[in-house]
Amino acid sequence: MKKQLSGIAAFVAAVAILVAALLLANWAPLALQKETLRRYNSIEEVRAALPGKVIYVPSYFPQQVSWPPSKILAQGKPFQASVIEFKRAGSDEAVLTISQAEGPFNTDRDIALTTVSEQVQYIMKGRTAALQVGTCGNGEPCSRMSWNEGNSAITVTMRSGPFELTRISESMLH
Amino acid sequence: MGISTFLNTSVGMYVVQSFCHSLVAAVLVDRALKAWKIYDPLIRQRFRLIVILFPIFSFPLYQLINPARSSVFFRMEALFDSSRWLTLELGWGVPVGVLFLVMLGATSLVFLFQELIPVLRHTMTPKHSVDEGTHFDAGTFVQDTAKVLAIRKPEVILIDEEEPFLFSATGREAVIYLSSGLTRVLSSEELRAAIAHELAHIARSRRPLLVALFLFRIVQFFNPVVLVKYRRAVRDEEKICDDIAVALTGNRGALAGALKNFYQKPDKKHVLSSLQSSSANMSLEEYSHNLHLESRIARLETEPAGPEPDPLAPFVLTLSAVVLLNYLIV
Repeated sequence: MKKQLSGIAAFVAAVAILVAALLLANWAPLALQKETLRRYNSIEEVRAALPGKVIYVPSYFPQQVSWPPSKILAQGKPFQASVIEFKRAGSDEAVLTISQAEGPFNTDRDIALTTVSEQVQYIMKGRTAALQVGTCGNGEPCSRMSWNEGNSAITVTMRSGPFELTRISESMLH
Repeated sequence: MGISTFLNTSVGMYVVQSFCHSLVAAVLVDRALKAWKIYDPLIRQRFRLIVILFPIFSFPLYQLINPARSSVFFRMEALFDSSRWLTLELGWGVPVGVLFLVMLGATSLVFLFQELIPVLRHTMTPKHSVDEGTHFDAGTFVQDTAKVLAIRKPEVILIDEEEPFLFSATGREAVIYLSSGLTRVLSSEELRAAIAHELAHIARSRRPLLVALFLFRIVQFFNPVVLVKYRRAVRDEEKICDDIAVALTGNRGALAGALKNFYQKPDKKHVLSSLQSSSANMSLEEYSHNLHLESRIARLETEPAGPEPDPLAPFVLTLSAVVLLNYLIV
């Protein structure tokens, strides 16, 4: 029994050291390369850290969306990409995500269309966008608009029907 | 296709994560074996199965549990995000991921030329056949030992060759082959111990764990951690059969003495001194072979330690740590 317990203590200590080593290894690339994907506090901070990066932000926000963004992730390498997440006003629930990326960039977590009931082409300010309407994981209505802006693929996903989504998307283009 | 594009495909994520998961599993298993002072090769081999088998299923299993695990949001909150390192650019603009893929490519070649092709060749064209040699009379020892092990008595075939060798073919009709050179250098006790070791292999081949493991291992052909751990599991098998042979003959020294005849030198002639075996001009494979023999001999020449703790709780704890920690490694 004593041998078992000392074994458990030694093993738990080894796990703790491994976790610390992994955390250190996870942090090191952030220190070595400033363009690595990381969290920012504001869009201005992204623009300052990754100069030359154009970030599309809507000028129209429905009342249900809370400003400022709750989460901003961005990277300059290996390709430019960012994702901005907004919470529902007065709630902790993510209601809107805007991602733009020059490469594969998976942002499906807090808002992800699990079923698509309708998909149409939507023309806005000279761009052809794909508009998808369906439901998110909990059966709530969700919609998604995707189009290309230069080298970047822009995707706007919202926990609502398409009406507010199209207005938000259009307000991102000038 | 760029490196980051590949790494974002399901195949890319599978390759990267199974490597990371096996590495973490290997560290945890090694620590567990040390923490609980587990030296029994049978139990050590079972622990190694975690490192070999778990990474085959870990990525699809985790994705099934949480499909959003591959999203950037999850990656940001992960304990370790491999893409940070793999997309990190080195001084001359080459990402670390390229070096990583080169390492996996080299491992794949090692697997192909050192494992897959030799195994296929050996399966299709066995080195020796029953017709090549003559029946070797080992008295009633083989029959009696086979009875204890509850296996059919295998044929023992003597091949007229000077180089000392002894191995068993574990097909439908198991056969033990030994060279006439070996019968000249081993005492009768050593020969019995060596044959008992082969009988142990035959008995264990009724449940061909290593063959099944090898089939799984093919899926991880690119994974250097699995390559190393599979080879260790194979070496554990030798130690397991050593223990069975000792239990059958009751003579540790005889088996140790027999093993000393299998040291390799570049000229392929056997030598008896372990000091000579590590001399220069020896291939890595021969050196590794001798190191393994030395460890087996040292083990046989040392009195066994007392009873080990029940391995169930350490195994469950280790497996749980591997599963939980790796979930947070993407």
